[in-house]
Amino acid sequence: MTKLPNPVDYAIPAFVVLIVVEMIVARRQDRARYEPRDTLTSLLFGLGSTVAGLLTAGAILAIATWLHDQRLFDIPYGWWLWPAVFVLDDFNYYIFHRTAHRVRWFWASHVNHHSSQHYNLSTALRQTWTGFIAGSFIFRLWPLLFGVPLPVLLFVGGLNLIYQFWIHTEAIDRCPRWFEAVMNTPSHHRVHHAVNPCYLDSNYAGVFIVWDRMFGTFVPEAVEDRCRYGIVRQLGHFSLLRGVFHEWIGIARDVWAAPWKAKLRYVLGPPGWSHDGSRETSAMIRRRWQERQARHAGKSHSEHDR
Amino acid sequence: MTGITLGGSLVAVLALAWLARALELGGDARIAGEAQAREIALNHHFESRAIAIDRAGISALARDDDGGFLLIRRHGAHFTGERLAPPLKARLDQRFLTINGTVLDLGDDAPVWAAQLRAVA
Repeated sequence: MTKLPNPVDYAIPAFVVLIVVEMIVARRQDRARYEPRDTLTSLLFGLGSTVAGLLTAGAILAIATWLHDQRLFDIPYGWWLWPAVFVLDDFNYYIFHRTAHRVRWFWASHVNHHSSQHYNLSTALRQTWTGFIAGSFIFRLWPLLFGVPLPVLLFVGGLNLIYQFWIHTEAIDRCPRWFEAVMNTPSHHRVHHAVNPCYLDSNYAGVFIVWDRMFGTFVPEAVEDRCRYGIVRQLGHFSLLRGVFHEWIGIARDVWAAPWKAKLRYVLGPPGWSHDGSRETSAMIRRRWQERQARHAGKSHSEHDR
Repeated sequence: MTGITLGGSLVAVLALAWLARALELGGDARIAGEAQAREIALNHHFESRAIAIDRAGISALARDDDGGFLLIRRHGAHFTGERLAPPLKARLDQRFLTINGTVLDLGDDAPVWAAQLRAVA
């Protein structure tokens, strides 16, 4: 098998330098963009994720090799293969990411990336430790069945991850219009990390924002609605281990306590779903917000008529 | 990734966390008034009808139309909200109301809010 370097290893020094630059900018513009304890937690999430990746790499490689052995076609290496697989892998990322927000099983792993109330380059490194347990890798490996070479798939996956680093910042406002139209940008991704009701469940793209535009999940950032970050029920602590496992523990508790017919939905239903309606999913929060907006609009219309 | 890379990454993590502290990032978040407290509550999808703000501005207590309560407290450079549900650990000591470990200096309003909280406890 052709061995290609992992591009992420080479990008790490650049990640560190860019975080330092962003911190200096934050000191001059808005010190609240960073919080030392939050930064430490985010970076330890990243380091732990790397270790978890090392521990599970063998198993994933074995699964990937087996899938490639079952391939239906033999795809030869060629210059066109790289961009084609890059685009396909980014589409797979979109599907994975959308599922990770809509199905609690995958959310339990992905929530780690969203649990900071800050949005800066250190947040980009706040990666999951439990992706292997969730089985998230399956979303990105299926092209192997069609003969896509594994080294190519791993390499473009690394490039995809590197691209997503720089968009985790408030230091960049908007990019040129043509770029915002096609590519995922800091503005688009701020919306994705926001918990404002109007922004929930949107902008799942990795590199190309066109997937969101195509599948109706795109929401532009509005000047009048400043992004507020985190998760619907904020963690309220900086504990690393509680942060890593809190949603898994929540699933276990809910499944244990739920009536039999509701147990599976606590695993495969949307985050926030409850059998007794005591909690809210993001769709319910958005609906309640829309009703409130309509109520306020009605009230201001009637005052205007008077 | 080798052991050296992993060790280097750990050193980089600790150095960056130290730098964030050395640059005095984070700020001193305070609730400036009722409007801001309401906005924080709304950020937690909680529509507040009444609000009491701690005198130092580092926490607040909000109540909605349905008798639900939200405890707002400082969390780093931001605020976090916790919907209060039984079992509730609340204690009144003159003008200080302690809820789930968070102390609020509510002045003369403290007994009023403590009485309302009994419904939750």
